[in-house]
Amino acid sequence: MQGNGNPSRILVVGGGFSGLTAGIEAAETGSEVIIIDKNPYLGGRVAQLNKYFPKICPPLCGLEINFRRIKVNPLVTFYTMAEVESISGEPGNYKVKIKINPRYVNENCTACNACAEACPVERISDFNFGLNMTKAIYLPFEQAFPQRYVIDRTICPKDCPAPCVSACKYNAIDLNAQPDSIEVNVDSIVIATGWKPYDASKIDNLSFGKVKNVITNMMLERLASKNGPTQGQILRPSDGKPVEKVAFVQCAGSRDENHLPFCSYICCLASLKHTLYIKEQNPSAEVTIFYIDIRTPGRYEKFLNNVKEQTGVNLIKGKVAAVEQDSDSDDVVVTAEDMLNGEKIKKRFDMVVLATGMQPEGFEFKVPGLKYAVDGFVIDTDGIYSAGCAKSPMDVAGCGKDATSAALKAIQIGARR
Amino acid sequence: MEKKIGLYICKGCGIGEAINTEKISNIAKNALRVPVVVEHDVLCSKQGIELIKKDIAELGVNSIVIAGCSPRVKTYEFNFPGCFVDRVPLRELAVWTIESPEEKQLAAEDYVKMSVIKAQKGEVPEPYIVETVKTLLVVGGGISGMTSALEAAKAGYDVVLVEKEPELGGFARKLYKRVPTDDFSHGVLGDVNIEPLINEVSSNSKIKVYTSSRIEKIDGQPGDFDVTIAKGGSTETIKIGAIIQATGWKPYDAKKLAKKYGYGKFKDVVTNFEFEEIAKKNNGVIKRPSDERVVKSVLFVQCAGQRDPEHIPYCSGMCCATTLKQARYVTDGNPDATAMVIYKDMRTPGKLEYYYKEAQNTPGMMLAKGEVTGIREEYDKLVVTLEDSLLGAKAEIEVEMVVLATGMVPTTKEPQDYLIGLAEASAKGDEAKAQYIEKTKKPEFILNLGYRQGPELPFLEGGFGFVDSNFICFQYETRRTGIYAVGPVRQPMNMAEAQEDARGAALKAIQCIEHVAKGMAVHPRAWDTSFPEPNLTKCTACKRCTEECPFGAIDEDEKGVPFYKPNRCRRCGTCMGACPERIVSFKDYSVDMIGTMAKNVSVPSEDDRPRIIVFCCENDAFPAIETAAFHRHTFDPAVRFIQLRCLGSVNLVWIADVLSKGVDGMLLLGCKYGEDYQCHFAKGSELAKYRLGKVQETLDRLQLEADRVQMYEVAIDEYWRIPDIINEFMDKIREIGPNPFKGF
Amino acid sequence: MAEEIVKPDLNFAKEVIKAGGESLKKCYQCSTCTVVCNLAPDKSPFPRKEMLYAQWGIKDKLFKNPDIWLCHHCGDCTAYCPRGAKPGEVLGAVRKLMIQNYSPPKFLAKWVADPRYILLIFLIPILFFLGEMAILGYFSGVEIPRGEGGEMSYVAFLAPVPWIDIPFMALAAFALICFYNGVKRYWLDLASGAELKRKDIYGCIWETIKEILLHRKFQLCTVNKSRSTAHIFVLYAFIGLAITTAIAAFYEWILNWEAPYPQTNIVKIIGNISGIALIIGMFLVMVNRAKNATTQGLGSYFDWLLITIIAGVGVTGFLAELLRLAEIETLGYASYIAHLVFVFALFAYAPHSKMAHMVYRATAMVFAKATLRDPSREAYYFETQKTQ
Repeated sequence: MQGNGNPSRILVVGGGFSGLTAGIEAAETGSEVIIIDKNPYLGGRVAQLNKYFPKICPPLCGLEINFRRIKVNPLVTFYTMAEVESISGEPGNYKVKIKINPRYVNENCTACNACAEACPVERISDFNFGLNMTKAIYLPFEQAFPQRYVIDRTICPKDCPAPCVSACKYNAIDLNAQPDSIEVNVDSIVIATGWKPYDASKIDNLSFGKVKNVITNMMLERLASKNGPTQGQILRPSDGKPVEKVAFVQCAGSRDENHLPFCSYICCLASLKHTLYIKEQNPSAEVTIFYIDIRTPGRYEKFLNNVKEQTGVNLIKGKVAAVEQDSDSDDVVVTAEDMLNGEKIKKRFDMVVLATGMQPEGFEFKVPGLKYAVDGFVIDTDGIYSAGCAKSPMDVAGCGKDATSAALKAIQIGARR
Repeated sequence: MEKKIGLYICKGCGIGEAINTEKISNIAKNALRVPVVVEHDVLCSKQGIELIKKDIAELGVNSIVIAGCSPRVKTYEFNFPGCFVDRVPLRELAVWTIESPEEKQLAAEDYVKMSVIKAQKGEVPEPYIVETVKTLLVVGGGISGMTSALEAAKAGYDVVLVEKEPELGGFARKLYKRVPTDDFSHGVLGDVNIEPLINEVSSNSKIKVYTSSRIEKIDGQPGDFDVTIAKGGSTETIKIGAIIQATGWKPYDAKKLAKKYGYGKFKDVVTNFEFEEIAKKNNGVIKRPSDERVVKSVLFVQCAGQRDPEHIPYCSGMCCATTLKQARYVTDGNPDATAMVIYKDMRTPGKLEYYYKEAQNTPGMMLAKGEVTGIREEYDKLVVTLEDSLLGAKAEIEVEMVVLATGMVPTTKEPQDYLIGLAEASAKGDEAKAQYIEKTKKPEFILNLGYRQGPELPFLEGGFGFVDSNFICFQYETRRTGIYAVGPVRQPMNMAEAQEDARGAALKAIQCIEHVAKGMAVHPRAWDTSFPEPNLTKCTACKRCTEECPFGAIDEDEKGVPFYKPNRCRRCGTCMGACPERIVSFKDYSVDMIGTMAKNVSVPSEDDRPRIIVFCCENDAFPAIETAAFHRHTFDPAVRFIQLRCLGSVNLVWIADVLSKGVDGMLLLGCKYGEDYQCHFAKGSELAKYRLGKVQETLDRLQLEADRVQMYEVAIDEYWRIPDIINEFMDKIREIGPNPFKGF
Repeated sequence: MAEEIVKPDLNFAKEVIKAGGESLKKCYQCSTCTVVCNLAPDKSPFPRKEMLYAQWGIKDKLFKNPDIWLCHHCGDCTAYCPRGAKPGEVLGAVRKLMIQNYSPPKFLAKWVADPRYILLIFLIPILFFLGEMAILGYFSGVEIPRGEGGEMSYVAFLAPVPWIDIPFMALAAFALICFYNGVKRYWLDLASGAELKRKDIYGCIWETIKEILLHRKFQLCTVNKSRSTAHIFVLYAFIGLAITTAIAAFYEWILNWEAPYPQTNIVKIIGNISGIALIIGMFLVMVNRAKNATTQGLGSYFDWLLITIIAGVGVTGFLAELLRLAEIETLGYASYIAHLVFVFALFAYAPHSKMAHMVYRATAMVFAKATLRDPSREAYYFETQKTQ
């Protein structure tokens, strides 16, 4: 209950780090909050990360606290697999239609895994960027919240005898579930739809998908994660060999008019962090980071220095613009100009990591009724506020600040009533 | 109200097959005297929940023990307002993680027994509610402070804004132009436009502005602060709910750059701040100080005394964009002028890249990566020497004026340095302390908190004087409840960022006000209405609680008797762990409760069947243990896990009691501590470690080996380490041999 | 290492921008261009550093270095540039300034470079040839004579001696002198920048010629291969036309055999084929530039002036021939005059128009060889493979 006595009602679109923060922070001032996410789980992009820079601490640590804050707070309701169908009305009185896609698994689910054991079909794991497979009925990851399975009906064979249904002791599976639609009435809306990794295959000279052992930074996060496709071992895809020499290609798509015209903020820090992942697993590994400008603003400078101090880490000013398959191995040959020596260098690496940037979700997938800039970032209007990477590229800490700020803007609308 | 316990045992998820629930029911009924004991096939099902609700309604059950799955799942189902509820993770800790059937059964019995004890000893907390006010205090009237004040007012809260200068506006007043906030396509130079904001603030009926004022003293606690404001000679004390510190920053002292860049030696070497003043004075035309001539060539030295261990090791984050802006001053003031910029890295992250691109079109701007190694004067010109530049490995450029992009230092740094020095001196003894106080100049304090733990916000290790949060996920965490730092006093940031930050801090302050009004804790236990209730009659004034509380929630009188300020408290229980007299307890969490639980764990009489008790942090270690269980990792059946709010609440008496009961070893699983600590209560796990350092004497009394008690740091994602940690510890215990107290 | 004095020159930077390097300021030194450029050598490659020097207006570093000419403006760099800085275009502008800088006389360079003088530069030859016609009295009623067979004949219209050969030889001589001066100064400047590692300059020259004839460098462009095809057409057309002229001269001076010659004659055959090649080539050039305007830039006035002149030579040449065979007098003579005007422009302005590229680029290529500036990429590739 805020100062003026009437609680504001807030809809938060997107249940990633920013959305959770905006929602929970607002709820803890006494607002009624609804959080929706199109994924079958909350946590969004950060759930796929192994560690955060600069502390090298696990994202789940903060998520766990936030999930607990949600569980114990009656003012917070959330819907997964949900998306906005339409927004009408004005600040202080928005009517929002929300479509809730069927999960085919209800709250009876105890996550016992019997269904998955019975399931005959496999699907490519989107959570692991196609680095491995899951069953058609699956739990996105073991600490997923809500801890409930979900079915990817798109790959269920028409004539499937549905062994999952018979395997479930708690009749939690309903294959005939239909999409549901609800309407909510809110004072204000926070848009925290976040980002997706830029499609690296669009950057033709960096040869993602054409040359073996060229991966993206987000794929590396999954490789380094204990709950990832390789149980946390950083092995190169082509032959599962532990990596000795790795190159990071900064600004893979970012700061580039042909791709993402803005700087994605996190990639420099992410690559430095990835360097630590690699060095931790193999202290003798050699890591080369090719960059235009190393961007570690504020106190992050310290993190840069810590990584630079490590042996076998070198930073080269010069953007990689050619990536080729080595003629007689699975290695990758990278060409760049070492600007400070003014020399074109061709180097061979076991694996090349493209520091691909953030494409705001709004670039392809637009929430109806919102204003977007050409680059896909949300433009705020009175009553509708963007938070985190839906607004501008930023790091997790930045999202925390920005989302808390958005929460204040949101409760102000209620206070006006 | 008389306590009535109901034990509900779930047989789903394989519990029914693995465990003889009937046996447990009998133990509960007979040995533990539990009045209501029910078994159910799927307790989380509708019928299961209905059944429990029915008992609450009809049998008056008010303390519920649910033996089934972890408290982290099915939370919505097992939610019974007004009742004391405890969940026993039989599925995770007995069924999934223990192999042998007998051991499964034994473990299940122990866990149920412990939970029943908890239910017997625990009460549903009643909130601590004192009369509170909902007024915010904002210290500092710069752009951050004004934004915080205004935005809080817009949300319906009264604000008191205190600024030490005669006028509001802070640093922004000194600017000629600013970097536009978001859209950079409308030109490189944006109007500062500070007056409208100042007017809006000073004319807002909800905001009371005190200029030329400072904070003389802050006493009390969130919702109930007594803030004394000094203006001129007079002082005034007002009630405040929560506090925002927005006292900003100072430019780095460029005199320290005399050697490197000849600042002070050459008139025409100025800082970016002085350059801003020059531009403002001449309305955009750049005249150099030495001869007031309009300059034709200016060279900007980026990172001057920044990213430099000898000066400020961090990056101020705003200088690159500022220089791009100031270069435009040069060429706007004189179309034939050139503005050269020598940078280490051009840092315009995120959307600022658009600004970089726009600003690059500045006609006379010339940019190049390089290191400025020196500046000398020749006639009326300055010669700048470069190394490792894209213009050549060693190069010289002749210019008329040089601008040093120096960085920002938080206003908190001076007080911090002084206080750190004082603490160090005091550690050396009263004499050293006296000397220090006499020798060192006392800087002006900002908040002047009347807290036993010091007058300012605690400093952050490796924080360079910024009062930043150590938590990536929780940016506004400070270790003083209800006091939030904002803007460049928190971390280096530009104006646009500071304004967003200001809103965030305002929200947190509002949150705190609302929570304390309900007698509720704030983050991380934002739902908690319990609070520490010390039985002071038994207090020996040992000061441990007042010293150890990570949040400075406990003051003391001159005799050392503590005064608990519950609204400052975060409910971690560190005081409870610190107290040698065991007099601090919460309604639902106490030394007695956990101690009794631990003491009642079965201790097998056979020497080859050790028993281990594991105290684990409920925020990280326990979820990790559960995830290990989810992966069906198995543990040595000797272990029994007990969840704690924080390892900071571990009281050494537990260890003594338990070991004297014949338990062979105790393992503490807590969060990472040190500079990059992950403990949600900042110091909890560190204090646990510190106390373990002292456990030796306790163990000596019992003539037991210190190795029987050990602590490990576990992160929430390190579930895979748990079995190894346990095995490693078990090996050590087996090596030491059984506890001689076994069977006593 | 010696300290080099950096002399930023804002005016020069502005000149580059004016000369067609509008995108210059956009460069943020990421070096994508140098990597995607297959022509750039591995030691201090271009065009990244040229972009910086141009931004800072450091003339010397640009001119005293063959690199601006080693660039064949194939546009790979421009296509991949993340900032739309169009290095290809910028280097084109720099080359234009370079030509102005080296080819005397300055005023002529200025006329050619500046669109405002376009009328003047064509007016000069037009007046010249109209003058000749006036002297011959064609405007004062004199009947235009016809060939022995009574057929329409340009030789009869304007006798090679004195009306054609003399002035064109003079022009050629003038052009040669300009070029000689320019190349000499350029070579000296280049030599002041780097020492010659090879002594067999003739060897270098021979290799360069082979390279030019085979378009080896041009072939390395990836984004826009058709450019080199177009260029090779034009190049060989010019060679063919040169041969034609030589044979014609031989017939005229040695055999005293007057034009026009029968279409079956070798000189005609070569001439016609070359003419066609020239027109096709120029057509391709224009199509290319139009097609890739967005990715690689349309090209500057400087480029288009030369394109116009050469295309003009080809088109009017053919027109004149066809009209002659068709006995369409007035039009025929008109287009013949037009043809002479374009040829005049081609010769007279060669040292200052983009035509000069053939000389300065060749010079730069020879120098590059003499200083071992351009190892072939393949060779380097395998060498580094060994070292890795």
